[in-house]
Amino acid sequence: MDTDRFDRRKFVKGVGAAGLVGLAGCTGGPESGGSDGDETEASTPAADDEDTEASETEASGSDTTNVGMVYATGGLGDGSFNDQAQTGIQQAAEEFDLSYDESEPDSVSQFSTYQTQYAQSTDPDYDLVSCIGFLQADALSQTAPDYPDQDFMIVDSVVDADNVRSYTFKEHEGSYLVGQLAGLLTSRSFSAGESSTAGDSTNVGFVGGVESSLIAKFEAGFTAGVKAANEDVDVQTTYTGSFSDPSAGQEAALSMYSSGADIVYHAAGNTGAGVFQAARDEGKFAIGVDRDQSVTTDYQDVILASMVKRVDTAVYNAAGATVNGEFEAGTATSLGLADDGVDIVYGTELGDQIPEDVKSEIQSSREAIIDGEISVPDSPE
Amino acid sequence: MTDAGGDADGDPDSDTGAAPGDAADDAAVRDGAAPGESGGSRSPRDRAFDALDRLVAASATERLLISGSALLLSVAIGFVLILVAGRMTSCESAAYSLLGIGFCYDPIVVYDSLFLGAFGDFLANPLNGQFATTVSETTVLVFTGIAVAVAFKAGVFNIGGQGQLVFGALASALAVYALSGAVSGVVGTLVLVPVGLAVGAFVGGIWGAIPGALKAYADANEVITTIMLNFVATSFALYLASGPFKDPESFANQTRTLPEFTLFPQPLFPGRTDASLLALALAIVVAVAVAYLLRGTSFGYDVRTSGIQPEAAEYGGVDAARTVVASMALSGALAGIGGAVYVLTIAGNFQTGIPDYGFDGITVSILAGNSPVGAIAAALLFGVLKSGSIVVDVGTDVPPELVGVLRGLIVLFVAMPEFFRMIGQRVDVRDRFGGSRDAVATDGGEEA
Repeated sequence: MDTDRFDRRKFVKGVGAAGLVGLAGCTGGPESGGSDGDETEASTPAADDEDTEASETEASGSDTTNVGMVYATGGLGDGSFNDQAQTGIQQAAEEFDLSYDESEPDSVSQFSTYQTQYAQSTDPDYDLVSCIGFLQADALSQTAPDYPDQDFMIVDSVVDADNVRSYTFKEHEGSYLVGQLAGLLTSRSFSAGESSTAGDSTNVGFVGGVESSLIAKFEAGFTAGVKAANEDVDVQTTYTGSFSDPSAGQEAALSMYSSGADIVYHAAGNTGAGVFQAARDEGKFAIGVDRDQSVTTDYQDVILASMVKRVDTAVYNAAGATVNGEFEAGTATSLGLADDGVDIVYGTELGDQIPEDVKSEIQSSREAIIDGEISVPDSPE
Repeated sequence: MTDAGGDADGDPDSDTGAAPGDAADDAAVRDGAAPGESGGSRSPRDRAFDALDRLVAASATERLLISGSALLLSVAIGFVLILVAGRMTSCESAAYSLLGIGFCYDPIVVYDSLFLGAFGDFLANPLNGQFATTVSETTVLVFTGIAVAVAFKAGVFNIGGQGQLVFGALASALAVYALSGAVSGVVGTLVLVPVGLAVGAFVGGIWGAIPGALKAYADANEVITTIMLNFVATSFALYLASGPFKDPESFANQTRTLPEFTLFPQPLFPGRTDASLLALALAIVVAVAVAYLLRGTSFGYDVRTSGIQPEAAEYGGVDAARTVVASMALSGALAGIGGAVYVLTIAGNFQTGIPDYGFDGITVSILAGNSPVGAIAAALLFGVLKSGSIVVDVGTDVPPELVGVLRGLIVLFVAMPEFFRMIGQRVDVRDRFGGSRDAVATDGGEEA
């Protein structure tokens, strides 16, 4: 190793120069604009032509509503629940004079710390703290009474406190519709894209994440829908025990497909990606959950439909009500089909190929549920 | 320092060269590196070895200075990282500007929040919520840190702290809940908190003793077995907490919430139920006790000798197999107490998804140079960083992933010198990798 050629100074100079070039080459920066309008007390950048447009947004006044978002563990980028909540607050930020701040706890024991942080903050003073996910319920039921002047909202659970607005969803209603879709399609020969149903199949599958009464609502609605479509079709049910284990989802779905299921519905967060992969491997179909997963994932070719759960609606409504001074703390709402809280959306690629008579049958069930003619069970028998 | 424990009848250090944690003087004896005497014309390899020797021989003050400068260096690098990340994202107005360039994130605010945020508004109200978080995080990490350190001392690498902690926590929650109907009030606290800790220690100890026994009697690699037993513990705890012992009232996979009186008393943090200075005091007492156990008792002598040189220890009459099992059981018991403390201060019940205290304990232990007392300081650094990153997350736009990187940088930089010291103490690099040895310990070495 001839070290004499290696000049330390040259090296340091080189690294420094490369670093500066790299820094300058970064494309982003304050001037390019973006959706994050929440850092409000920013100092105006000094004389820089590019930055002159980055005007100081006057937002430290009391007229802007501040919302603190505490996401569920798993954080943003889950392509599902948390992202859906973020969509809601982003939409609210666009339409109202509102800024928000986001935080992503990584364990259940941190929820109370995050909630408290927002509640006791005075700069800015948060008008609403949004708690996303039922795991926050225990922490919130302790935090909320300590800060009686602070408004909170919680998604997916009910916290009984005067300053908390609770939003839950009738997941079973939406799941009923996708269950009906699965039951109808598996009873006939149907093919779309590379996939097809066998026609004589007598079962469909449900893959759940962590077993809980929340996910049980999905299962119960799905089963009821399948049975409504065809009494002879059975539902195979598996819980993988995790919302973030795609390979477990794939294993579960593969065994369902190989034992005759044509269509598998999942309520398992990221685990569901494995279900989609299995469907593609086996040339079968899958049904997405929470969002239109034929848009948010790369599995357009196997996703027949998705059961959307409008977490964004809940967040948007709560934020909007706060801005307008109409926030009804202390109440609980369960958003169902009638309130656009849940719904069925057909896949972008396969949706058109689903026969019209199937769609119209689902549409009539949808109306029947809204009218109260069909009552969907919210727990499995 | 060599004979601080008072083992007049043959402290192993003097025979075998160096024990982890007190090798400053011993290593100087062995390698005879004269600090600061490296010649100008030596090869880079020799210079590197000299530096390593120098590091091994560093005094406590020097080590503190090294840690301090490493910390500053990591902050400097993190500073640049924050700026770069601030250019790669987009925002409407600059949070920070330097040389006329605007950046989305303000590094000064980030580091201010990261370090000082953990103490909240300490001057106005020392008992604020943020400091409470720091205290509670630190408390649990002291236990897992010592747990790993004890095993390390015995030459066993316990990666299973997490599993031992999970089982300790679960057992503690179940036992305390089962007994909470029998007693109540102050008596309940006095009885149930110790019971909870004891049960946690017992179950964690058993879970730690299993890989210990497998290593001692079946020669199974403890790294593998402890990692595997982590999975067994978390999965089995998930099964129990979602099935047989699930709180029927809750959506979450958790056991029933413990009554208030069964939790650690928190006399000083009003309104906060998750931090207890008493628990922290207990952690400190345990750390000191373990340090004494290792230094001043014959059990500690056995542990340390078998950690340094198992064959020599056997020859000296130490039952190495039994020592491995005992130290792993002690290690597991400490992690189990950590789990019990987590339940009895922070959580209030057992809930799946316990944070990675067991794994952080490994870093805490390395940071502390495997010293139980040092683990207190290392755990405090971790507690500060954990609590501070919450303040960063809430108070700025900096994404949590970037905060994680900054935290990792700090820990890496502070731990690295200590890590090299450990390597320098255990491995004679010159013998292994070649290199000239022109500073020979002919003078019998210098006591630093």
